[in-house]
Amino acid sequence: MKKVLEGSQAVAHAVQLARTKVISAYPITQTHIVEELAKFCADGTLDGQFICVESEHSAMASVIGASSGGVRTFTASSSHGLALMHEMLHWASGARLPIVMAEVNRALGPGWNLWMDQTDSLAQRDTGWIQLYCEDGQEALDTTLEAFLLAEIVNLPVMVVLDAFFLSHTYEPIDLPEQEEVDRFLPPFSPKFMLDTEHPCGMHEMSQPPVYMEMRKSIQAAMETVPEVLAKVDADFASIFGRHYGPVEAIDCDDADVILVMAGTTASTCRELVRELRAKGEKVGLLKLRMFRPFPVAAIRESLAKAKKVAVVDRNNSAGAGGIFAQEIRSALCNCARRPEVYSYVAGLGGRDITTKTLEGIYRMTLEAAEPGLESRWVEIDEELARS
Amino acid sequence: MTRAEMDSFKVPLFFSRSNTSTEANRTGNWCFVRPSYRDRTAPCSEACPCGTDIPRVETLASKGLYAEAWQTILMENPLPATCGRVCFHPCEKACNRGELDEAISVNALERFISEAAQAAGAGAASGAAAAIVRGKASGKKVAVIGSGPAGLSAAYFLARLGHGCEIFESADEAGGLLRWGIPEYRLPGPILAREIKALEDLGVKIRCGEGRDLSWPFKDKGYAAVVVACGQARAMGLGVPGEELAKDGLEFLRETRRDARAAGGAAAAGGASSGGKVAVIGGGNSAIDVARTLIRLGMKPLIVYRRRREDMPAFAHEIERALAEGVELMELKAPLSLARDAKGIRLSLQEMKSGEPGPDGRRRVEAVKGATSEVVVAAVYAAIGAEAEAPWETAMKAAGALALARSRLLPGPLALAFTGDLATKDKSVSDAIASGKEAALALDVLFREGAGAVEARLAACRIGAGPSLSMELYLGGERSKRDGKVVRVDDLNTAYFPRTARMVPHIARPAVAPGSFVEAEPGFDAAEALAEAGRCMSCATCNDCDNCRTFCPEVAVKVLDDGRDINADYCKGCGVCVEECPRGAMVMGAEETKR
Repeated sequence: MKKVLEGSQAVAHAVQLARTKVISAYPITQTHIVEELAKFCADGTLDGQFICVESEHSAMASVIGASSGGVRTFTASSSHGLALMHEMLHWASGARLPIVMAEVNRALGPGWNLWMDQTDSLAQRDTGWIQLYCEDGQEALDTTLEAFLLAEIVNLPVMVVLDAFFLSHTYEPIDLPEQEEVDRFLPPFSPKFMLDTEHPCGMHEMSQPPVYMEMRKSIQAAMETVPEVLAKVDADFASIFGRHYGPVEAIDCDDADVILVMAGTTASTCRELVRELRAKGEKVGLLKLRMFRPFPVAAIRESLAKAKKVAVVDRNNSAGAGGIFAQEIRSALCNCARRPEVYSYVAGLGGRDITTKTLEGIYRMTLEAAEPGLESRWVEIDEELARS
Repeated sequence: MTRAEMDSFKVPLFFSRSNTSTEANRTGNWCFVRPSYRDRTAPCSEACPCGTDIPRVETLASKGLYAEAWQTILMENPLPATCGRVCFHPCEKACNRGELDEAISVNALERFISEAAQAAGAGAASGAAAAIVRGKASGKKVAVIGSGPAGLSAAYFLARLGHGCEIFESADEAGGLLRWGIPEYRLPGPILAREIKALEDLGVKIRCGEGRDLSWPFKDKGYAAVVVACGQARAMGLGVPGEELAKDGLEFLRETRRDARAAGGAAAAGGASSGGKVAVIGGGNSAIDVARTLIRLGMKPLIVYRRRREDMPAFAHEIERALAEGVELMELKAPLSLARDAKGIRLSLQEMKSGEPGPDGRRRVEAVKGATSEVVVAAVYAAIGAEAEAPWETAMKAAGALALARSRLLPGPLALAFTGDLATKDKSVSDAIASGKEAALALDVLFREGAGAVEARLAACRIGAGPSLSMELYLGGERSKRDGKVVRVDDLNTAYFPRTARMVPHIARPAVAPGSFVEAEPGFDAAEALAEAGRCMSCATCNDCDNCRTFCPEVAVKVLDDGRDINADYCKGCGVCVEECPRGAMVMGAEETKR
């Protein structure tokens, strides 16, 4: 059934369709998701418990507790809220709990800002969470459904990432799946371990040097199974719903000289540009990054290896090191025998628009550049103001 | 995806997990202070003259356990349905909730609980009987003179303590002031009759039309003691020229009730013709009762009082009702004289002014020189107070009497106990009941242990620091485990009590119609009663809310059949339970843990 929904509402509907049992969240700006779910719990259309908390740290702690108790859980946050969860994010993955979270990419202050920026989620890249970035409302709904299945197979938490406003607050026609279809895709949660008063046990206690490292390796190994598991999840999803995503999506990459790489809603803008440029005979491609953790090195190599130049568009910045996606792309490619030059661009921070013109500018700069240079290049920026 | 397909992925899952119970980790040995359950005393129960366990009553009522709530009241008070209507409820003034928003409507709840328990029928009645059953017969026989609230109360408690009891009542029906002094619209006759009947069912014999004084040979007839509960039946005169023209207010109330009984409805009483203006002299509850009765007989009453409205001894809500019903109030006017006039009675009045506060806290009044006035009325009613017949007073003042808080006990071969209005400072129904109870307990101690033990044994039954005594404490019941310290609002965790307004019965008060003595105050319906009882914070009294158990980080709170217990093996003494107890029913430090 098609419905016109906000990206946030699309996620909430997915959580409802997944028959989630416990939701805990703190209502930070950008989380219409939470409002919507609170409503579902209140009006009984979702048979779940909504736990009100005083902070995001507690929200994550609550779902950790609930997930340990063997039920399907969900939370949502953004920006400062996510930052406040940081400690508990480590706990969720270390405890191998299949928690799903929607995270709305929003800039961190100061300067206080409510708009799109990827630095918040990317700053959590080492917490052991799977990260999936969404391009539009349909993908946000579909990815949330996939996230539960993926998380429950590999016993790792999944962060479904949405652009602030461009996705969270934009209404689009969205195909809302039938409950019966979702039930077929996603079986009831059957935990591999749980707290059970009938079989008491202690979990996550002191782990000394002889075992700690093996536990970390276990998480790493679980992460390494994700590409294979996601492939199966995607295939199953496609067989029921007819939509397929994958860890990356390569558009016109096979014969491209220059490939633009990006994640999130900008990919939609770039699809438009690629169509226009291809019509003019330009050999340009787009690689949309959907999965960031685990980083899909093999898929990236396969898509990019034949190009001459790669331009990575980062809506984030690791101060002192530049765009984060670019760093990861470089390291993914650096041991390939034949590899393209990697150009790094920082654009669209704190909600600044990235238009087809912006992207075309990046494409032209890349095309004309003699060499990538050491630093990320900041585009459409008032240099004078930035230097003052 | 099927479960088998999901499981086909070999995903490493190695994390620390132990099937060894954390019970091995005895966090209790970190402990150097320990929480314990310590029910203390709620200010309402301390303020209640009857010492009613109000938090327990409201907790039971909030669960809809009205029969149990009623029995809890009956433990301390034989007349809940009566008190639920006429008590001046000092409990509500003391209620901690009053500091947060509005006090609990304890009085209206008492009325509702009494009616709901009756409605619950036989189960409730037999349950009540079990709870208040008579003790083993002592072989002692006690006479009670007067069947007002003090006499009924003394007989009730004496009977429960195993003593044979007979009430001698000079009137033809029992109840004393409750039957003859309180108008029907405040206390419907059948309600009182029901409660007196329950007392008779307990084995108390009430001999109406058999007035006795102390010259009667009680001792020779085998009585070990006499409880004097004769009340104050003699009206005080106005002490001004023409005072004989004034009717006695109490006598008027008596006659009205008698007429109502005879006619099966209300009829004009006291000879006053309908429609005229009448004066009521006085500022106490009787003056209000007289005025409100007159209005129901079609008269236009004017209350004349020598001080200001705020100095009136009548309960504020009674004054408010009277004025709302159309009673007029003339403040700072004292009667100078009464004289018969062609149009009725000419009442001369002296204007008064308010002076310095006297020893009782009320302002003294003095005459304003030369300022007098007159009103002409159809009749004048004097309701300025009553006193006991002189012989009772004389007997009470005999040497050797123990002056207890609300009664006097004169030990001897025929012990005498003076109770009710004769002996109490505050003349109220509840104080009279408290007085009767005190006398009953004192006589029981006297019979069993002698006069020397009376004061100490009664002191041990006090609720908090006040004079109110508890039968449950006297009998060594559950309540005697409580600490006498009174918990104030600062001792509570008020974050757990969202501010809510006090419930008001949604039923409108019936309009005052001439000739109708229908009950003036509407009661709660079931939903209102549940909501209001739920507002009670159950101060100082564990109501098994389990906050302690929810918050205990060591799962060290055990649920027992009769409360909660701290598992000392695991309690690390963090004190979270005490902090999160909403009602101040836990303390830190003591070794004893169980409630």
